[in-house]
Amino acid sequence: MVHRKRGKAGMHMKRKIGLIVNPVAGMGGSVGLKGTDGDSYKRSLELGARPVTPLRTGDFLAHIRNRADIELVTAPGVMGEVHIGDFGAPATVVGAVTGDTSAQDTRRIAADMVSQGIDLLIFVGGDGTARDICDAVGLTVPVVAVPSGVKIFSAAFAFSARAAAEMVDAFIDGTSVAEQEVLDIDEDAFRDNRLASRLYGYLLVPDVKRYLQGGKECSSVTKSAVETKAEVASHILEEMEDDTLYLLGPGTTVKAIADAAGIPKTLLGVDAIAEGRLVGSDLNEESILALLQKFEKRCIIVTPIGGNGFIFGRGSKQFTPDVIRRVGRDHIIIVATPDKLVKLEALHVDTGDFQLDQVLAGYLSVTVGYKETMKMEVRG
Amino acid sequence: MTRPIDLSMNEMPFPPPEQVVTAARAGLALLHRYADQRQLDELKALLSRYAGVPTSYIVPGPGSDYLLREIIYAFSGGRKVIIVSPSFMPTVQKAKQFATKLVSLRLSPPAFRLHPDMLWDELTEPALVIIDNPNNPTGTVLLDRRTVETLVAHEDVRLVIDEAYFEFSGVTFADMIVDHPNLAITRTLDKAFSLAGARIGYLIAGTPFRDIFAAFRALLPQASLHAAIAALQSVSYMEDNVRVIMAERDRLHERLTGLHVPVYSSHTNFLLVSTGISDIASRLRERGVVVSDVSNQCAEGSIRISIGRPEENDAFIDALRAVLG
Repeated sequence: MVHRKRGKAGMHMKRKIGLIVNPVAGMGGSVGLKGTDGDSYKRSLELGARPVTPLRTGDFLAHIRNRADIELVTAPGVMGEVHIGDFGAPATVVGAVTGDTSAQDTRRIAADMVSQGIDLLIFVGGDGTARDICDAVGLTVPVVAVPSGVKIFSAAFAFSARAAAEMVDAFIDGTSVAEQEVLDIDEDAFRDNRLASRLYGYLLVPDVKRYLQGGKECSSVTKSAVETKAEVASHILEEMEDDTLYLLGPGTTVKAIADAAGIPKTLLGVDAIAEGRLVGSDLNEESILALLQKFEKRCIIVTPIGGNGFIFGRGSKQFTPDVIRRVGRDHIIIVATPDKLVKLEALHVDTGDFQLDQVLAGYLSVTVGYKETMKMEVRG
Repeated sequence: MTRPIDLSMNEMPFPPPEQVVTAARAGLALLHRYADQRQLDELKALLSRYAGVPTSYIVPGPGSDYLLREIIYAFSGGRKVIIVSPSFMPTVQKAKQFATKLVSLRLSPPAFRLHPDMLWDELTEPALVIIDNPNNPTGTVLLDRRTVETLVAHEDVRLVIDEAYFEFSGVTFADMIVDHPNLAITRTLDKAFSLAGARIGYLIAGTPFRDIFAAFRALLPQASLHAAIAALQSVSYMEDNVRVIMAERDRLHERLTGLHVPVYSSHTNFLLVSTGISDIASRLRERGVVVSDVSNQCAEGSIRISIGRPEENDAFIDALRAVLG
């Protein structure tokens, strides 16, 4: 990691800051799609997905303290301009968009903003958006990445919209910037049913580590890790009750439980088990809610994302606030290998529902072996 | 070839005083004999005076690890065993063989605080709680009096506090031993007393714990026993050294902060440093400084540095600066 020192902002010098919003980021989550790239966007609309970014962008803009020190330039229409009301100050519009927005629009407008001399670029989106920004600006200007996508694995993103707002304030106060990774799921590995994230590039981000989510580490495939997962699976299977619905989230540790039970499991989807058999595969929110109505006792089994520790809000957005509330905090089973946990400062939740995040915050036990748990702090 | 500077084992960089070395030599002359009971009694009396507890509450042993292992064998059966993470008590993993469950309470940076709520939820069944205070490798004091009082108020709890670094932290719960038979404290002369090579530990504990060792006659090595007695007769030497190390620790902390390297507050003779460089330990070793790589328990690139002599600490800073470029 390279740290670059910055001088403290002058008393009266405004910072020129750009804003680009990916209006379709995050829409696939609640309907069980794993992104909104290409056809997935149209499919998510057909499935009744609602835009996520307006809420995120509004929450983010409303929590910036140093607004008076910002000269805001924004992308047009739904890519930024329509959110300016939440910022409460005028902004200059850069570029134009005709028809549906696209990745090309993001890249073109970002490059235009850089040529107009912005000091910082804020973007709202997911890993796909981060890749576009990476292509367009590289390391020429620092960025603040506001999470709103379905697949968010890149370390460059802030933990939440509010953390992103604090990063903007820290930038204005003169915090140095550092390179952070932009990652994405390796599509080839995904098709091969392996969860592998790959490094795409770097972005310069205000160096406030407590607001950043670490990059997703690929799960270890060493023999000992496999053995540990088998041990975890063995313990969970022993504790499972026949009359309970188990909703299994993504990840290799959770999949090991299904494997041990001889039940097929999607790697990145949510699947359901009851009475020792599969009762739902690759579920979206709607089908999960339908299943929850059929069972009085229900549990969610999840594993934290390696490197950033999210148990809800990254990669498994089918577990919407409604689903999590219906299952209840006491019925969340977290599993992980110890080597993954010791790299984490804490577990994290960012469900998009601030109050639910606070309910989930505190301490939760993670099963890390047979009759072995590690109690971790959960930060909302 | 120049010998590397070893800052990896939390030893004192200063050798024991001359009278301790002389006493150890006298012990060597008795290698054909087991330790004399009168000398064992003398050691217990000195430890009792040093710890401020009655002699009957003291059990010396060949290293605190040994004492801890015996306690785990005796008390983990049918109990939940609760420990903290990160922690470096290798014997604790043995508990898995006998315990109903092994629970690690994860300490989160930057404060590495043990929040009492983490503990209370776990005390729903008989438990053996083992906590190193201050914690290794974070250097943090985890327990306060109120937490210890609440823990020992649970009759089903056996609490073991490892005070290996007591001389640096000044925090002890030894005065609670007489009133709380379910409390035990392990300590060592390895660290502050400059006797790592002698391996003398001791237990301060009430009857339930001491009963484990009732049939155990501390057959300590002659040289170690003689050295320990002499060291406890000249405590001021240790105290002077501890003051030097603590001043050096604060100086090193300041220098690391000056290099913008994350370093945590410590109440011990070591510092936990988070460099973010995954092969930092081997790169420092290439430059002649050996530190402990603790990234298997902490964040990637975390190292634990024992506080050495001023010139050793400076050499470490120079090596680190070279690695950082």
